[in-house]
Amino acid sequence: MKNKDIKNVVKKEYSTIAKNNNSCCGPVSCCGSSESPEEISKLAGYTDEDLKNVPQDSNLGLGCGNPVSLASLKKGEVVLDLGSGAGFDCFLAAEKVGDDGLVIGVDMTPDMVEKAKNNAVKDNYTNVEFRLGEIENLPLDDNSVDVVISNCVINLSLDKEKVFNDVYRVLKSNGRLVVSDIVLLQNLPEPIRNSIDAYVGCISGALKKDDYLDLIENAGFKNIQIIDESEFPHNALSSVIDEYDISRYAESIVSIKIKAIKIDSISKL
Amino acid sequence: MMYPVLGEQLKKELMDILACPICKGDLVLNIVEEDEVEIKSGTFYCSQCKEYYPVEDGIPNLIPPDIRE
Repeated sequence: MKNKDIKNVVKKEYSTIAKNNNSCCGPVSCCGSSESPEEISKLAGYTDEDLKNVPQDSNLGLGCGNPVSLASLKKGEVVLDLGSGAGFDCFLAAEKVGDDGLVIGVDMTPDMVEKAKNNAVKDNYTNVEFRLGEIENLPLDDNSVDVVISNCVINLSLDKEKVFNDVYRVLKSNGRLVVSDIVLLQNLPEPIRNSIDAYVGCISGALKKDDYLDLIENAGFKNIQIIDESEFPHNALSSVIDEYDISRYAESIVSIKIKAIKIDSISKL
Repeated sequence: MMYPVLGEQLKKELMDILACPICKGDLVLNIVEEDEVEIKSGTFYCSQCKEYYPVEDGIPNLIPPDIRE
Protein backbone atom coordinates (compact mmCIF):
# COMPACT_ATOMS: atom_id res chain seq x y z
CA MET A 1 0.00 0.00 0.00
CA LYS A 2 1.31 3.46 -0.85
CA ASN A 3 1.99 5.94 1.94
CA LYS A 4 -0.75 8.25 0.73
CA ASP A 5 -3.26 5.42 0.81
CA ILE A 6 -2.20 4.37 4.31
CA LYS A 7 -2.66 7.95 5.50
CA ASN A 8 -6.11 8.15 3.95
CA VAL A 9 -7.19 4.92 5.64
CA VAL A 10 -5.86 6.16 9.00
CA LYS A 11 -7.78 9.43 8.53
CA LYS A 12 -10.95 7.61 7.55
CA GLU A 13 -10.84 5.16 10.45
CA TYR A 14 -10.14 7.86 13.04
CA SER A 15 -12.86 9.95 11.49
CA THR A 16 -15.27 7.07 12.05
CA ILE A 17 -14.09 6.78 15.64
CA ALA A 18 -14.76 10.52 16.13
CA LYS A 19 -18.26 10.22 14.71
CA ASN A 20 -19.17 7.08 16.64
CA ASN A 21 -17.85 8.54 19.86
CA ASN A 22 -15.82 5.55 20.93
CA SER A 23 -12.85 3.45 20.05
CA CYS A 24 -14.73 0.35 19.17
CA CYS A 25 -15.95 0.87 15.68
CA GLY A 26 -13.08 0.41 13.29
CA PRO A 27 -11.67 -2.87 12.14
CA VAL A 28 -9.23 -2.34 14.96
CA SER A 29 -8.22 0.56 17.12
CA CYS A 30 -5.53 1.37 19.64
CA CYS A 31 -7.72 -0.31 22.14
CA GLY A 32 -10.01 -3.25 22.10
CA SER A 33 -13.49 -3.97 21.05
CA SER A 34 -15.09 -4.73 24.37
CA GLU A 35 -13.95 -2.23 26.97
CA SER A 36 -15.27 1.29 27.44
CA PRO A 37 -13.01 4.32 26.88
CA GLU A 38 -13.05 4.87 30.66
CA GLU A 39 -11.82 1.34 31.39
CA ILE A 40 -9.15 1.55 28.74
CA SER A 41 -8.03 4.95 30.04
CA LYS A 42 -7.65 3.65 33.56
CA LEU A 43 -5.41 0.88 32.24
CA ALA A 44 -3.40 3.56 30.43
CA GLY A 45 -2.81 5.46 33.68
CA TYR A 46 -5.63 8.01 34.05
CA THR A 47 -7.30 8.52 37.42
CA ASP A 48 -11.02 8.76 38.12
CA GLU A 49 -10.48 12.44 38.78
CA ASP A 50 -8.86 12.92 35.35
CA LEU A 51 -11.87 11.29 33.72
CA LYS A 52 -14.33 13.37 35.73
CA ASN A 53 -12.68 16.70 34.98
CA VAL A 54 -12.89 16.70 31.18
CA PRO A 55 -15.76 16.95 28.71
CA GLN A 56 -17.40 13.55 28.52
CA ASP A 57 -17.01 13.17 24.78
CA SER A 58 -13.35 14.06 24.79
CA ASN A 59 -12.06 10.69 25.96
CA LEU A 60 -12.21 8.13 23.19
CA GLY A 61 -9.95 5.63 24.91
CA LEU A 62 -7.27 5.89 22.26
CA GLY A 63 -4.25 6.55 24.45
CA CYS A 64 -1.59 4.21 25.70
CA GLY A 65 -0.38 6.34 28.60
CA ASN A 66 -1.08 9.59 30.43
CA PRO A 67 1.55 12.09 29.23
CA VAL A 68 0.01 15.05 31.07
CA SER A 69 0.58 13.27 34.40
CA LEU A 70 4.26 12.86 33.53
CA ALA A 71 4.88 16.33 32.13
CA SER A 72 5.00 18.33 35.40
CA LEU A 73 3.12 21.16 33.71
CA LYS A 74 3.34 24.56 35.34
CA LYS A 75 0.99 27.52 35.34
CA GLY A 76 1.43 29.72 32.32
CA GLU A 77 3.13 27.16 30.09
CA VAL A 78 2.40 26.72 26.38
CA VAL A 79 1.62 23.09 25.57
CA LEU A 80 1.29 21.44 22.17
CA ASP A 81 -0.50 18.08 21.80
CA LEU A 82 0.36 16.10 18.68
CA GLY A 83 -2.66 14.21 17.43
CA SER A 84 -5.08 15.78 19.87
CA GLY A 85 -8.11 13.70 18.86
CA ALA A 86 -11.24 14.75 20.71
CA GLY A 87 -9.15 16.85 23.10
CA PHE A 88 -8.86 14.63 26.19
CA ASP A 89 -5.19 15.31 27.01
CA CYS A 90 -5.51 18.99 25.98
CA PHE A 91 -8.31 19.54 28.50
CA LEU A 92 -6.28 17.86 31.25
CA ALA A 93 -3.30 20.04 30.31
CA ALA A 94 -5.53 23.15 30.28
CA GLU A 95 -6.32 22.63 33.95
CA LYS A 96 -2.64 22.38 34.79
CA VAL A 97 -1.40 25.45 32.89
CA GLY A 98 -4.28 27.62 34.10
CA ASP A 99 -5.72 30.80 32.64
CA ASP A 100 -2.35 32.25 31.68
CA GLY A 101 -1.24 29.09 29.91
CA LEU A 102 -2.18 27.97 26.45
CA VAL A 103 -2.82 24.52 25.02
CA ILE A 104 -2.78 23.90 21.29
CA GLY A 105 -4.03 20.64 19.82
CA VAL A 106 -3.05 19.63 16.28
CA ASP A 107 -4.75 16.76 14.46
CA MET A 108 -5.03 15.82 10.77
CA THR A 109 -8.57 14.43 11.02
CA PRO A 110 -11.26 17.09 10.49
CA ASP A 111 -13.92 15.18 12.43
CA MET A 112 -11.61 14.93 15.45
CA VAL A 113 -10.79 18.66 15.38
CA GLU A 114 -14.49 19.46 15.04
CA LYS A 115 -15.32 17.25 18.01
CA ALA A 116 -12.52 18.70 20.12
CA LYS A 117 -13.61 22.23 19.26
CA ASN A 118 -17.22 21.50 20.18
CA ASN A 119 -16.08 20.04 23.50
CA ALA A 120 -14.06 23.19 24.23
CA VAL A 121 -16.98 25.49 23.40
CA LYS A 122 -19.47 23.41 25.36
CA ASP A 123 -17.36 23.40 28.52
CA ASN A 124 -16.17 27.01 28.15
CA TYR A 125 -12.46 26.34 27.92
CA THR A 126 -10.70 29.63 27.40
CA ASN A 127 -7.12 28.44 27.07
CA VAL A 128 -7.35 25.61 24.53
CA GLU A 129 -7.23 25.88 20.74
CA PHE A 130 -7.42 23.21 18.07
CA ARG A 131 -5.93 23.31 14.60
CA LEU A 132 -6.28 21.02 11.64
CA GLY A 133 -2.68 20.31 10.79
CA GLU A 134 0.03 17.76 10.27
CA ILE A 135 2.44 16.75 12.98
CA GLU A 136 5.18 16.53 10.34
CA ASN A 137 4.59 20.18 9.35
CA LEU A 138 3.66 21.99 12.54
CA PRO A 139 2.03 25.40 12.04
CA LEU A 140 4.03 27.02 14.83
CA ASP A 141 7.07 29.27 15.20
CA ASP A 142 10.50 28.05 16.19
CA ASN A 143 11.11 28.16 19.95
CA SER A 144 7.48 28.84 20.82
CA VAL A 145 6.32 25.92 22.99
CA ASP A 146 7.28 24.86 26.54
CA VAL A 147 6.02 21.29 26.39
CA VAL A 148 5.07 18.92 23.59
CA ILE A 149 2.90 15.96 24.57
CA SER A 150 1.64 13.11 22.42
CA ASN A 151 -0.30 9.98 23.23
CA CYS A 152 -0.17 6.93 20.97
CA VAL A 153 -0.03 8.96 17.76
CA ILE A 154 3.53 9.19 16.43
CA ASN A 155 3.46 5.49 15.54
CA LEU A 156 0.83 6.41 12.95
CA SER A 157 3.06 8.95 11.20
CA LEU A 158 4.70 7.89 7.97
CA ASP A 159 7.66 10.21 8.60
CA LYS A 160 8.54 9.97 12.28
CA GLU A 161 11.95 11.55 11.77
CA LYS A 162 10.27 14.69 10.46
CA VAL A 163 7.90 14.70 13.44
CA PHE A 164 10.71 14.65 16.03
CA ASN A 165 12.73 17.22 14.09
CA ASP A 166 9.76 19.57 13.91
CA VAL A 167 8.96 19.04 17.60
CA TYR A 168 12.54 20.01 18.41
CA ARG A 169 12.20 23.11 16.27
CA VAL A 170 9.03 24.42 17.95
CA LEU A 171 10.23 23.75 21.50
CA LYS A 172 11.82 26.57 23.47
CA SER A 173 15.23 26.09 24.99
CA ASN A 174 14.79 23.72 27.96
CA GLY A 175 11.42 22.77 26.54
CA ARG A 176 10.40 19.17 27.02
CA LEU A 177 8.89 16.36 25.04
CA VAL A 178 6.70 13.90 26.94
CA VAL A 179 5.44 11.13 24.75
CA SER A 180 3.54 7.90 25.23
CA ASP A 181 3.66 5.59 22.24
CA ILE A 182 3.91 2.02 21.00
CA VAL A 183 7.31 0.55 20.14
CA LEU A 184 8.44 -2.95 19.26
CA LEU A 185 11.07 -5.12 20.91
CA GLN A 186 11.36 -7.37 17.88
CA ASN A 187 10.21 -7.21 14.30
CA LEU A 188 6.74 -8.48 13.61
CA PRO A 189 6.08 -11.01 10.86
CA GLU A 190 5.39 -9.69 7.40
CA PRO A 191 1.62 -10.34 7.30
CA ILE A 192 1.20 -8.13 10.37
CA ARG A 193 3.62 -5.52 9.07
CA ASN A 194 1.59 -5.34 5.87
CA SER A 195 -1.78 -5.24 7.59
CA ILE A 196 -3.52 -1.89 7.31
CA ASP A 197 -5.77 -2.88 10.22
CA ALA A 198 -2.72 -3.42 12.39
CA TYR A 199 -1.38 -0.06 11.15
CA VAL A 200 -4.54 1.79 12.17
CA GLY A 201 -4.36 -0.15 15.45
CA CYS A 202 -0.97 1.41 16.26
CA ILE A 203 1.01 -1.81 15.79
CA SER A 204 2.50 -2.15 12.33
CA GLY A 205 3.56 1.49 12.07
CA ALA A 206 5.43 1.22 15.36
CA LEU A 207 9.24 1.33 15.23
CA LYS A 208 11.72 -0.84 17.03
CA LYS A 209 12.42 0.77 20.41
CA ASP A 210 16.06 1.57 19.64
CA ASP A 211 15.18 3.16 16.30
CA TYR A 212 12.54 5.29 18.01
CA LEU A 213 15.00 6.49 20.65
CA ASP A 214 17.60 7.16 17.94
CA LEU A 215 15.20 9.47 16.11
CA ILE A 216 14.65 11.46 19.31
CA GLU A 217 18.38 11.69 19.92
CA ASN A 218 19.18 12.56 16.30
CA ALA A 219 16.63 15.38 16.42
CA GLY A 220 18.89 16.96 19.07
CA PHE A 221 17.18 16.00 22.31
CA LYS A 222 19.18 15.44 25.50
CA ASN A 223 18.42 13.76 28.82
CA ILE A 224 16.26 11.17 27.10
CA GLN A 225 14.62 9.11 29.81
CA ILE A 226 12.35 6.11 29.58
CA ILE A 227 9.92 6.78 32.38
CA ASP A 228 7.91 3.62 31.99
CA GLU A 229 7.62 0.66 29.72
CA SER A 230 4.83 -1.89 29.82
CA GLU A 231 3.36 -4.58 27.65
CA PHE A 232 0.64 -3.23 25.38
CA PRO A 233 -2.61 -4.37 27.02
CA HIS A 234 -3.31 -7.76 25.60
CA ASN A 235 -7.03 -7.21 25.18
CA ALA A 236 -6.22 -4.15 23.12
CA LEU A 237 -5.00 -6.42 20.41
CA SER A 238 -8.03 -8.64 20.41
CA SER A 239 -9.43 -7.73 17.05
CA VAL A 240 -6.23 -8.42 15.17
CA ILE A 241 -5.26 -11.43 17.24
CA ASP A 242 -7.76 -13.67 15.55
CA GLU A 243 -6.56 -12.82 12.12
CA TYR A 244 -2.81 -12.78 12.65
CA ASP A 245 -2.31 -14.61 15.93
CA ILE A 246 -0.72 -11.49 17.39
CA SER A 247 -0.90 -12.88 20.92
CA ARG A 248 2.34 -14.73 20.18
CA TYR A 249 4.02 -11.36 19.69
CA ALA A 250 2.24 -9.46 22.46
CA GLU A 251 5.36 -9.32 24.62
CA SER A 252 7.19 -7.54 21.83
CA ILE A 253 4.62 -4.76 21.57
CA VAL A 254 5.33 -2.23 24.27
CA SER A 255 3.74 0.99 25.48
CA ILE A 256 6.60 3.31 26.32
CA LYS A 257 6.69 6.70 28.07
CA ILE A 258 9.62 8.91 27.19
CA LYS A 259 10.74 12.32 28.40
CA ALA A 260 13.41 14.38 26.63
CA ILE A 261 14.72 17.93 26.84
CA LYS A 262 15.81 20.44 24.23
CA ILE A 263 19.01 21.99 25.54
CA ASP A 264 19.96 24.66 23.07
CA SER A 265 23.35 25.53 24.42
CA ILE A 266 24.75 22.23 23.21
CA SER A 267 25.00 22.55 19.47
CA LYS A 268 23.42 19.90 17.31
CA LEU A 269 26.00 17.76 15.56
CA MET B 1 -11.60 28.69 16.27
CA MET B 2 -10.49 31.62 18.27
CA TYR B 3 -12.66 32.56 21.16
CA PRO B 4 -13.29 36.19 21.88
CA VAL B 5 -13.43 34.90 25.47
CA LEU B 6 -9.80 33.92 25.14
CA GLY B 7 -8.06 36.76 26.98
CA GLU B 8 -6.50 39.46 24.81
CA GLN B 9 -3.08 38.45 26.00
CA LEU B 10 -3.58 34.79 25.07
CA LYS B 11 -5.10 35.68 21.72
CA LYS B 12 -2.07 37.79 20.95
CA GLU B 13 0.26 35.04 22.12
CA LEU B 14 -1.48 32.51 19.92
CA MET B 15 -1.29 34.74 16.83
CA ASP B 16 2.35 35.38 17.65
CA ILE B 17 3.33 31.73 17.64
CA LEU B 18 1.14 30.51 14.78
CA ALA B 19 3.20 30.06 11.65
CA CYS B 20 2.92 28.88 8.08
CA PRO B 21 3.38 25.08 8.14
CA ILE B 22 5.63 25.29 5.09
CA CYS B 23 8.02 28.22 5.56
CA LYS B 24 7.20 28.94 9.23
CA GLY B 25 6.66 32.59 8.30
CA ASP B 26 4.08 34.83 9.96
CA LEU B 27 0.40 34.44 9.13
CA VAL B 28 -2.07 37.26 8.69
CA LEU B 29 -5.64 36.54 9.75
CA ASN B 30 -8.51 37.85 7.66
CA ILE B 31 -11.92 37.35 9.27
CA VAL B 32 -14.89 36.88 6.96
CA GLU B 33 -17.52 35.84 9.48
CA GLU B 34 -17.52 35.59 13.24
CA ASP B 35 -20.02 35.23 16.04
CA GLU B 36 -19.76 35.67 19.80
CA VAL B 37 -17.95 32.35 20.17
CA GLU B 38 -15.58 31.97 17.27
CA ILE B 39 -14.31 32.97 13.88
CA LYS B 40 -16.61 31.05 11.56
CA SER B 41 -14.77 31.66 8.33
CA GLY B 42 -11.79 33.52 7.04
CA THR B 43 -8.21 32.89 6.02
CA PHE B 44 -4.71 32.84 7.35
CA TYR B 45 -2.37 34.21 4.69
CA CYS B 46 1.35 33.62 4.38
CA SER B 47 2.97 36.46 2.47
CA GLN B 48 6.19 34.52 1.91
CA CYS B 49 4.60 31.44 0.34
CA LYS B 50 1.62 33.40 -0.99
CA GLU B 51 -0.58 30.63 0.38
CA TYR B 52 -3.99 30.89 1.98
CA TYR B 53 -5.08 28.65 4.83
CA PRO B 54 -8.85 28.61 5.19
CA VAL B 55 -10.89 28.83 8.37
CA GLU B 56 -14.02 26.82 7.64
CA ASP B 57 -16.86 26.11 10.07
CA GLY B 58 -14.73 27.58 12.82
CA ILE B 59 -11.76 25.29 12.14
CA PRO B 60 -8.45 26.69 10.84
CA ASN B 61 -6.98 24.32 8.28
CA LEU B 62 -3.21 24.61 8.51
CA ILE B 63 -2.44 21.51 6.47
CA PRO B 64 0.01 22.36 3.66
CA PRO B 65 -2.01 22.98 0.46
CA ASP B 66 -0.30 20.29 -1.61
CA ILE B 67 -1.39 17.59 0.80
CA ARG B 68 -4.82 18.97 1.54
CA GLU B 69 -7.63 16.87 0.17
